[in-house]
Amino acid sequence: MQLLSGDARRAVFAPLDDGALRSEAVVRRVGSAIGLGLLGDGEQLPTEADLATMLNVSTVTLREALAELRKLGLVETRRGRGGGSFVRSRDDVLAELADARLAELGTTDLRELGDVHSAIAAAAARLAASRASRTEIARLRDIVDRLASAETVTGQRRSDGRYYIELAACAQSVRLTMQEMDLHLELGQLPWPPEHAPGLLDVIVAGHRAVVDAIEDRDAARARALAESHVETRTLWAIELRLQRLGGAAGTGDDQRAVS
Amino acid sequence: MNRGPEGEAVHVGEAVHVGEAARVGAAVSAVVEQVFATVARVHDTALRALEREGRRASRAVLPPGTQDLLHEPGQLAVGLGLVVAPRPEEGLPLRLEWWQVDPGDGSLRTLEPDLRPTSLGYYDYTAAEWFDVPRRTGRRHVVGPYVDVHGTGRYLLTLTEPVLAGTRFVGVAGADVPVRRFETHLLRVLGPLPAPFVLLNDEGRVVLSTAPRLLVGSLLPPDAGPPEEGTPVAGTPWRLLLVRDGHRLAG
Repeated sequence: MQLLSGDARRAVFAPLDDGALRSEAVVRRVGSAIGLGLLGDGEQLPTEADLATMLNVSTVTLREALAELRKLGLVETRRGRGGGSFVRSRDDVLAELADARLAELGTTDLRELGDVHSAIAAAAARLAASRASRTEIARLRDIVDRLASAETVTGQRRSDGRYYIELAACAQSVRLTMQEMDLHLELGQLPWPPEHAPGLLDVIVAGHRAVVDAIEDRDAARARALAESHVETRTLWAIELRLQRLGGAAGTGDDQRAVS
Repeated sequence: MNRGPEGEAVHVGEAVHVGEAARVGAAVSAVVEQVFATVARVHDTALRALEREGRRASRAVLPPGTQDLLHEPGQLAVGLGLVVAPRPEEGLPLRLEWWQVDPGDGSLRTLEPDLRPTSLGYYDYTAAEWFDVPRRTGRRHVVGPYVDVHGTGRYLLTLTEPVLAGTRFVGVAGADVPVRRFETHLLRVLGPLPAPFVLLNDEGRVVLSTAPRLLVGSLLPPDAGPPEEGTPVAGTPWRLLLVRDGHRLAG
């Protein structure tokens, strides 16, 4: 069985916070892990008992979640020898899940998520400006190039997540890196902005390149400010999309253009 | 006068006490050699197994029990193993035979990194410096400190040496030492120090520092001294600088 290691594994199978709809939380977690490629197509999930223990949910809850994932087509269960639950990566299903998640969150939730992400990414960018080696800066550039040329939504989403995680690693901070990993499992549950407005990919790529340029110039203040404002912009996109889905009542003309 | 990241004065220079620099350098070398001794045992075990049984796609090279090295008294490494270079033309896949001590309960676990290129967590180890440098140079190498984001999730130094069957590169044997453990051990060995020092790797990154303004993981400010300055630490790609605020020490 291909299992994850390090931060990624810890984050995917970390215990879920207490909350009412726990089987839904399991579905979302597994969905975003598939979207980010942390769980690969065809990959076998741990046994029900192990998975329930890792996520800190009851086996009843876990079975409910697996039933839902099967219904969605994200998990396939085979019986008998060599049987078990296997991951099926389906972009269409993930997009539906993301839309449903967006509809359930309030703008305050999106703002909160954006606030934390902006704090973490800005701190990472500031520190990276004085701590990232040339090799690390080259790796960041390479990831942004891959983001620019990724052809699928999942490919783009993964490169984007990887950029933020590497940025935190460039800051030489295990804790910031873990925070980014956790955040991306949440952010990965939301729609990917360029899926609704393809032009936004260029904005994201340009935003990341500007941060990497500032890091290379060893300009900590600029790196920080750029990383912060980029995340803030993206938070606004999510909030605008959320409000737009209410029936197109929200937003000025500019806002409409930004997300449509 | 040089300025650190916050604009404060940072003076870096070679030791007035050449003897003191030598003492610190020798202690650093000894710790590194201690870890490389473990790496050498992994290396020798791998070579013996390869000579005896060759390499097969379906089977591990290292015999069971190799990982018990991690439980030896005084062991600084928390991870060790062998990374076998892939050889697609012979149907031999890449292979990572690596164990690590669980930070929680101290048990040994195999590391199973994400080797799928399409994943957010993809660990492209053939591009990793700890694999690539020994492969290219044929010599041992020390990488770090670095956040091992796609492997163990720790802040590490990784020490590796190439495994050669004759002249053929088979892979690398290596060990991981957490930066914190390296620091704690070395500072205990050194005892009281007359002057703060900073240990720098080949990228100018601080490996260990007793100067509070030069933090582990940071890069030495470019104006803090010429890159060749300092005392090379034998057996490592590192150099040692003694630091004193207020005036520059004679080289």
